[in-house]
Amino acid sequence: MEYMAMGNEAFARGALEAGVKVAAGYPGTPSSEIIEQLSRAAKQAGIYVEWSVNEKLALEVAAAASFAELRSLAVMKQNGVNVASDFLLHLATSGTRGGMVLIACEDPGALSSVNEGDARTFAKLVEIPLLEPGDFQEAKDMTKWAFELSEKIRNLVMMRSVTRMSHASGNVRFGPLPSGEAKAEYKYSGGLLDPNTGPVTAGGYRHRFVLEKLKKAVALFEESPFNTYQGPEKPALLLITSSACYLYSREAARILDVEDKVGILKLGTTWPLPPNLLKKHLASTDNILIVEEVMPFMEENVKVLAAEMAAEIGIKNFYGKKSEHIPSVGELNPDVVLSALADILDVGYESVPAEYAKKTGALAYTKAPARALTFCPGCPHRASFWSIHNALELDARKGFVCGDIGCYTMAIGPTGFNTVKSVHSMGSGAGLASGFAKLRQFGMEQPVVAVCGDSTFFHSAIPALVNAVHHKADFTLIVLDNSGTAMTGFQPHPGLTVNAMNDEVPALDIAEICRAMGAKVEVRDPFNLEETQNALNQLLEYKEGAKVLILRQPCALSPQRKAGQKFKMQVDEALCLGETCGCGRLCTRIFRCPGLVWDQEKGISRIDEVICVGCGVCADICPQQAIKREVA
Amino acid sequence: MRIFGSNELKEDVLAKGLCIGCGACINLCPYFRSYKGKTASLFPCTVEKGRCFAYCPKVEVDLEALSEQTFGRPYDGNPLGTYRAIKTARAGKAVGAGQFQAGGTVSALMCFALSQGIVDAAVLTGREELLPVPRLARTAEEVLSCAASKYTAAPTLSALNEAIKAGGERLGVVATPCQTLAAALLRQNPMNEENFRDPISLLVGLFCTWSLDYRAFEAYVAGRVDIHKVRKVDIPPPPAEVLEIYTDNGRITVPLDEVRTLTNDTCGYCLDMTAEFSDLSVGVLEGRTDKNTLIIRSKRGEEVASAAEKAGYLVLEEMPTESLEHLRWAAGNKKKRALARIQEAGRLNTAEEAGRAMVRMNADAIAAILG
Repeated sequence: MEYMAMGNEAFARGALEAGVKVAAGYPGTPSSEIIEQLSRAAKQAGIYVEWSVNEKLALEVAAAASFAELRSLAVMKQNGVNVASDFLLHLATSGTRGGMVLIACEDPGALSSVNEGDARTFAKLVEIPLLEPGDFQEAKDMTKWAFELSEKIRNLVMMRSVTRMSHASGNVRFGPLPSGEAKAEYKYSGGLLDPNTGPVTAGGYRHRFVLEKLKKAVALFEESPFNTYQGPEKPALLLITSSACYLYSREAARILDVEDKVGILKLGTTWPLPPNLLKKHLASTDNILIVEEVMPFMEENVKVLAAEMAAEIGIKNFYGKKSEHIPSVGELNPDVVLSALADILDVGYESVPAEYAKKTGALAYTKAPARALTFCPGCPHRASFWSIHNALELDARKGFVCGDIGCYTMAIGPTGFNTVKSVHSMGSGAGLASGFAKLRQFGMEQPVVAVCGDSTFFHSAIPALVNAVHHKADFTLIVLDNSGTAMTGFQPHPGLTVNAMNDEVPALDIAEICRAMGAKVEVRDPFNLEETQNALNQLLEYKEGAKVLILRQPCALSPQRKAGQKFKMQVDEALCLGETCGCGRLCTRIFRCPGLVWDQEKGISRIDEVICVGCGVCADICPQQAIKREVA
Repeated sequence: MRIFGSNELKEDVLAKGLCIGCGACINLCPYFRSYKGKTASLFPCTVEKGRCFAYCPKVEVDLEALSEQTFGRPYDGNPLGTYRAIKTARAGKAVGAGQFQAGGTVSALMCFALSQGIVDAAVLTGREELLPVPRLARTAEEVLSCAASKYTAAPTLSALNEAIKAGGERLGVVATPCQTLAAALLRQNPMNEENFRDPISLLVGLFCTWSLDYRAFEAYVAGRVDIHKVRKVDIPPPPAEVLEIYTDNGRITVPLDEVRTLTNDTCGYCLDMTAEFSDLSVGVLEGRTDKNTLIIRSKRGEEVASAAEKAGYLVLEEMPTESLEHLRWAAGNKKKRALARIQEAGRLNTAEEAGRAMVRMNADAIAAILG
């Protein structure tokens, strides 16, 4: 049966067809749907699916299943691999038993991330095989094959996807699902060197086993049907590509009408590169263009092989990121490949007439409304940052906020009143704050604040808070508790009473954990602006150690709040001062909830009844009390 | 008068550390707020000419124009400003008992004004532990609860703005010289609002040489007493050279020269020791703990003082010549020191192209002050 499937759905299906029994991950765009789909199938398929606390845990949970001879899957976005990397290195050293696959979904162009990371280098770094599906059918088929490969070589296999593979859709033919029970047992009593019954341990001496396993994989790669070639036997230009760029390359060659000149070598096995296959194709031409997302990973690996084989294949002209034919920054698309081909082959091509491009550029600048990133109407973060920003201004000691990852990252910008002043990785806001707060002896008097979400708290902020309490670092951690892992699609986390498979589970209480650590803890509702601001101003003056302010209010898109509207809002036109001295358009110019609109003609603010969700907060910021709030 | 907006106010006053925290810019809009004695601007405002700038006593104050508008005579730089009479004063029998500063004249004036309906409510400064807080008093009891000097700058005028917003029309105000200056500017309707009526019916100024930065004072005191138990602060007359802090548990004294290091730097740019733009100004009578100096400036001030005396709220006597001369000398010195500083900073009569001035006055006044 053929289905229209999203790349992530195809990955999930491939794992199910391979008989996966355990799947673990942490939410991260563009990977989240893989665990979501598997969790929906969990009961029916009789498998265990977990949203782990963080990616390191996800990899460990999956590894345990593999050691117990079950097939397992770990899923994360590119940064997640960084988080899991220490265990990943040791796992590659110890090897695995049941087939184990790590799927890393990357975000070229950082459309939903704060970095353009390339996880493929980890495969090279820890010396495990790397696969990259080039279309949606391969996303399913390669996943199934990856488990077989893993069991053949007794090590985990990494698969890499990108946004346009994971989130785009295509036709996928499904295969049969396996039947049969699986028994989990961890055998450990054999000798240290016995891969099937000995203890599974890392160890420096094991490094040569890792390399032997890799050699086995390379031999299989030479014959793999996932490395394909289309084009003339002796192309004028050999285009080596992988992943979604395969589709862009095919499209570009067709549009430019150079399919008779350009040979496309699509690699599905991208680490290690199969040398014989590469030699055959490198020898067929003098000109090689490498098209890939993010890092010049394949580009550099191909160049190394080419140097090694130079005596046999000759000297080549390489094009790619190094030659700047392919950009090193930003997401790729067919136009990028078209420009590269046009330039290299000296074929005229203009994706858009220059005059037209200039005109549309100018119009976009003047006519397109400025749409800054914004919190949803009714988002608790808008209210939280209103209070945090104002408390810090009133405190007037140049206090600052170290930010973290989530919707609240947007508080670097106007939607959060430019309150956040640093952003790095999960939990790093609290970590940096723990460091900043120890600089008092060097004359730093600025109050230090960090924000993190409820999911981020469990993911990696806990160690940072432990560090701060123990080292008496006086900083204020503000936990923005909106009852879920919201930015990535509202997945559950340990603070909630349900898990990925909708089972009832014990919830952990963030306030109690912080108190148990010895931090000074306060809990407030961020929709109560005055109380929140007062609580924070008081905490900012407490110098004896770490403090935690938990701002608890569910996300506007959470199932709890989505259906209901608490208040009906209306602006009293007679009271609204609009642009004049005394207001200066505070609600539509500064607060900027999308539910508030500026009526240019009348010179007053209005409520957009379609967008407003009735949270009621704007009524408390109007200096004239012109915004009226009625219980709906 | 040159009027600009909040961005210029921030540039010229807040960013230069010249803000005294008088509260004149607070409660006009959501952007300026005060916390523990410090004024902060929460967000940028795009209004080009605003009341915040117009009322601020630390920027573009045209003393010449203000003097003409308020008293109908030029600003001549004389040490004690415009006045009709100077007397000594103290609270009379009609005023209830209270913890007054010296003679209790200010409390007496406000109690009297309230009792006669000259004012409906009085904008005063009370205290919450160590922190001075603006208050709107409507009864004699409330007035008396605000008695005694506070010594740290407070955003008193924020309560004035709040009262005006709520429709107040006959307001009494007790203000330090900087606050008095701002209130005097407000009374002249600098923004030319239609249907404007002066909401202040009695403006009582206080003598002041300097005030303390609240946060610095709090840090200093917190090491010495439980600030949650502070009831009163006092500086007894010379030669004591101490500051007294009264708590629930008793009284401690600290050296005045240590306290002087906590004064607001901006006070060094203040020309006004006796609140020259009030209806009446009140200060301690030199060397006495039970009497005040009362400067009667305007017609309204004269009427109220006279009526208060007749009604037994005030006891007025002649001002001793020596004390008057000493007051004139002290006030003149403050003026001279401050004007020299303003001039050196290039903020006296600053040319339009060069920026915005702190004060504007004519050449005769400058000469008279600098001597």
